[in-house]
Amino acid sequence: MRSFGALAWRQITARPVRAFLTAAGIVLGVAMIFAVLTLSATVQNTFDDLFASVYGRTDLIVAGEDQTSLGPAISDRVAAVDGVAAAEQRLLGIFVLVGPDGRASEDPGSTLNIAGEDPRVDDLTDSRIVSGRRVRNGNEVNLQDSWADSQGIELGDRVRFATPAGVKALRVVGLFEFSTGLEFGGQGFGLIPLRRARSLLDRPRGSDEIAVAVDPDADPEAVARQLRRALPSAVKVQTPAAQSEDVQAQLQGFDTVIFFFAAMALFVGGFLIYNSFNMTVLQRTREIGMLRTVGARRGAIVALVEREALILGTVGSLFGLGLGLGLTHLLVELLRASDLPVGKLDFTPTAPIAAVVTGVGTAAFGALIPALRASRVPPIQAVLGTEGLRGRPRPLRGLIGVTLIAAGAAGAYNLGAADQVSNAEIAGGMAGTLGVFLGIALVAPFLIGPMVRVLSAPARWLLPAEGRLAADAARSDAIRTAATATGLLIGLALVVAIQTLGSSFLRSIEDELDRTFARDLTVQPRGFSPGAGPQQSISHRVSAALARIDEAKVVAPQRMLFVEELPEPPPPDQRSGSKTSGVLFAFDPDVFDQVDQTTIEDATREQAFAGLKKGGVTIGRGLADEYGIGVGDTLLLDGPAGKRRAPIVGIVRTVFAGGQTVGMSLATIERIYGVTADSLIAIKARSEQDRAALRSKVDRLLANRFPNLEALSNEEVKADAEDQFQQVFGFFGAIVAVAVIASLFGIINTLSMSVFERTREIGVLRALGATRRQIRRTIAIESLMIGLIGALLGIGVGAAIGWALLKGLAAGVPGVTYTAPISTIVGVVIAGIVLGLLASILPARRAARQDVIDALGYE
Amino acid sequence: MSAGILAIEARGLRKVFGSGETAVRALDGIDFEVTEGEMVAVMGPSGSGKSTLLHLLGALETPTEGVVAIAGKRFDGLSDRHLTLLRRDRIGFVFQFFNLLPALSAEENVVLPALIAGRRDKEVRERARGLLARVGLEARASHLPKELSGGEQQRVSIARALLLEPELILADEPTGNLDSRSSAEVLDLLGSLSGEEGHSIVIVTHDPGAAARAKRIVFLRDGKLAGEVEGGSTQRVIDRFAELEG
Ligand SMILES: Nc1ncnc2c1ncn2[C@@H]1O[C@H](COP(=O)(O)OP(=O)(O)O)[C@@H](O)[C@H]1O
Ligand SMILES: [Mg+2]
Repeated sequence: MRSFGALAWRQITARPVRAFLTAAGIVLGVAMIFAVLTLSATVQNTFDDLFASVYGRTDLIVAGEDQTSLGPAISDRVAAVDGVAAAEQRLLGIFVLVGPDGRASEDPGSTLNIAGEDPRVDDLTDSRIVSGRRVRNGNEVNLQDSWADSQGIELGDRVRFATPAGVKALRVVGLFEFSTGLEFGGQGFGLIPLRRARSLLDRPRGSDEIAVAVDPDADPEAVARQLRRALPSAVKVQTPAAQSEDVQAQLQGFDTVIFFFAAMALFVGGFLIYNSFNMTVLQRTREIGMLRTVGARRGAIVALVEREALILGTVGSLFGLGLGLGLTHLLVELLRASDLPVGKLDFTPTAPIAAVVTGVGTAAFGALIPALRASRVPPIQAVLGTEGLRGRPRPLRGLIGVTLIAAGAAGAYNLGAADQVSNAEIAGGMAGTLGVFLGIALVAPFLIGPMVRVLSAPARWLLPAEGRLAADAARSDAIRTAATATGLLIGLALVVAIQTLGSSFLRSIEDELDRTFARDLTVQPRGFSPGAGPQQSISHRVSAALARIDEAKVVAPQRMLFVEELPEPPPPDQRSGSKTSGVLFAFDPDVFDQVDQTTIEDATREQAFAGLKKGGVTIGRGLADEYGIGVGDTLLLDGPAGKRRAPIVGIVRTVFAGGQTVGMSLATIERIYGVTADSLIAIKARSEQDRAALRSKVDRLLANRFPNLEALSNEEVKADAEDQFQQVFGFFGAIVAVAVIASLFGIINTLSMSVFERTREIGVLRALGATRRQIRRTIAIESLMIGLIGALLGIGVGAAIGWALLKGLAAGVPGVTYTAPISTIVGVVIAGIVLGLLASILPARRAARQDVIDALGYE
Repeated sequence: MSAGILAIEARGLRKVFGSGETAVRALDGIDFEVTEGEMVAVMGPSGSGKSTLLHLLGALETPTEGVVAIAGKRFDGLSDRHLTLLRRDRIGFVFQFFNLLPALSAEENVVLPALIAGRRDKEVRERARGLLARVGLEARASHLPKELSGGEQQRVSIARALLLEPELILADEPTGNLDSRSSAEVLDLLGSLSGEEGHSIVIVTHDPGAAARAKRIVFLRDGKLAGEVEGGSTQRVIDRFAELEG
């Protein structure tokens, strides 16, 4: 050993297993952070590429908000503006490859993002034809070369696609490539003539966006200003860069959430470091006292402990990066499975640097308190050993803990209560959650005694010696047991909190479906998920074909539009000023009542439907409360296709979109927002006996002509909703699982140290006649109790956080009620037991194998 | 050699640690026995094999050669589990460092062997209380070990050793960590346990005064028996010890 500092390295290499267990949390946390950062950079890059590709030669984009469409007059007005060199109308939609069996493939890679363009106008994308030619007319299509390749499609092939208007065979007359080499999660891009697109996408007039190229000598900003002046206010004129930023801003919320979960994994890692170093410092009291005796100053002791933490943090972080690579691929698969296009993985230097810095920082921070504690060991302790050092929790600690919990819960409530979730509120909510966890960590030691007493009762009854000894071991250092259990608690609490929200919303939605669904079948695109990116729409031909089925009494198309800005009361009455996102929901007022019984308040159903027919709107209770408006007031409908004041003719009680909904007739949504295609079709059978026949006829029709659509019974709709919730929560769950795994290593570490510290006790027990099995059981019971305490506290804390979030949310969404996630709670208890037992295997074996004479340790 | 029923008997005990060059013959061919109700002291210089002998008698270790039998039951061929149960039911240990479990009260420490044996009847608890009274600590039953003096802790551990009525009590330097007054108390206790109450006891000690309380004193040297004297006189023990040392 060349220097005093090298002692730190010796301490680590002397106990490699402990070092591994201590750093495991850092390894996993860093892996997670790295994966999430890489993922977020990749998604961002994917969209950067997308915009660079699709708008390569475009200076300005003229479009409606969200998926609204422009009215027919707009394109002429755009072309007439000075400085506009070219204006290319586009229709946008989604086709799905149809396999040889006639079925639409469900693989995300078979999705084709289709654009309809006027062949006479210059192409303003960044694409270059690599073989063949650009489409001219008829059933022709250009495909992205790399995608065609991956699907085994060649130039000249006739390819069958499920389009909104049914299955169509299109001839591949050209292949193109974007200069960015855009990869979009396996999805492809294609081009068809505008006229064909009008019929296939069921968009007889207008366009979805207009790409504009300005004259070479004109200033794009000036042209943009002129365009804005010439066009209706709801039409946006933006540079591709600005639009890209908009899209990415929408992704940011998701980024923040997954980053938070990743940070939680690292937080657990920090906890493990703290706990482990605390135990190590205690064990080394005599040694540290000796160092102090021979003249090591306090600073030197702090430095020694911190140096050890830094080494562990650095090595752990480097391993974390390796693991992170694997995790990234796993998360990408999960994201792609939920239809989010993720392109080529983008490894920026920022991700590994940030991950390692946070990892090392966490390790250093986690070891800080133990290091300071070590530095306060007086030299006399060299003689006394650990005598009298095992701390008891002090009341002040409890007080601080309770305060943190209260403040944290308030933060969570606030996040839930926010109308529009701003970054500040998300940050507040997350800080709040963190506060709750820290608070619990402080309070938990006080709970250990009573909890152990209760939880060990069955064990003490069944196995008096083992139960008693295990309980004593868990209780003897309440602070340590609490810290170990808290590590586990964090992951489990997050699971419970997430599932509390999930189950409450799901339950409320299912209740509402039960109450309101008067239909028998719902026809929707396969994989339909409201609010998740561009969906395939449904042509009016589908409802027409369905209406020809004899058993169908009512065929009621619905159109749904998720918008960032819901209509507001007209000026000067404009109340909110801030954007309220929500859903525009359109249907045929003549027949909708027969398929849907959603409660309408403040007006009779007849009045409401009559009003809708005349161009009025209904609004959700949530929105009515937020704006403070009701029946008799008006909303200003301002869309890219038109503008109108609409009287509010009823208030709808719904939990969908948190009650932030505006209902209107099909005619209204077309006139104002340019939406002509349907999202869903509700069907009611002539009579109950006809249901089975209706179902089979609808299924046959869809299979033959519209294989990308599916018909669901009401039960299936509910199951579908549940699947979608589970998919989202499954993704978060996968991230949170990493925190749980990290805490498993924490329990192993604590137990190993506990076994180590009790070597002599175990020897005595063996000498007194305790069998190896009894020793193993004792350790297993101790571990089980730590696991159960973590699980129970996790359930308590998770339910509380979930409840606070939900109460906050429910304040804005009347009708959402708290539903305990029973199956999750049961699962968490089982997880606690299983993790506890799993963690005990190695330490228990080690304890049982100990040689009795050695263990008795004649000094 | 004294007559009477043998509590424990060992023949030809040999214990070798390690092998080859570094092999240590801790015990090198020892015959040893204790009759019922007898207290035998084992003396010898440090490293002479006293503790090893006790470990072999107590089934904590198995001999390299030789046989041990307690009340006629031979240890050889027994599995680890059976040796453990034998230890539990038939042998009581008293350690130099007391080795009480710090989290348990005095009474609970005494009850511990019964708990390990899966017994928790009232009888056991009454017996534990009786034993605490026997060692003069009934008033301290609910105290934790750290609240007791060394001598008191050792008396608790003697009560613990007695709980399951073992056939043999093994004490390895039980007074090695005690001041002279506490030592005297503990030795008086052990003496009366064997004399008046008929317990068989083997005690390892360095203290001639302590050894003299035993009926017989056995001397070990380099793992071999180096002589034996009758107890009763401290001076005789000192003389004999000096003889052996010299
Ligand atoms: N586990 C062991 N491994 C190696 N040598 C041992 C072991 N136990 C005891 N010895 C050696 O055996 C000899 C006898 O030891 P021990 O019985 O402890 O002596 P005593 O108790 O008389 O001081 C000593 O030389 C000691 O070093
Ligand atoms: Mg010894």
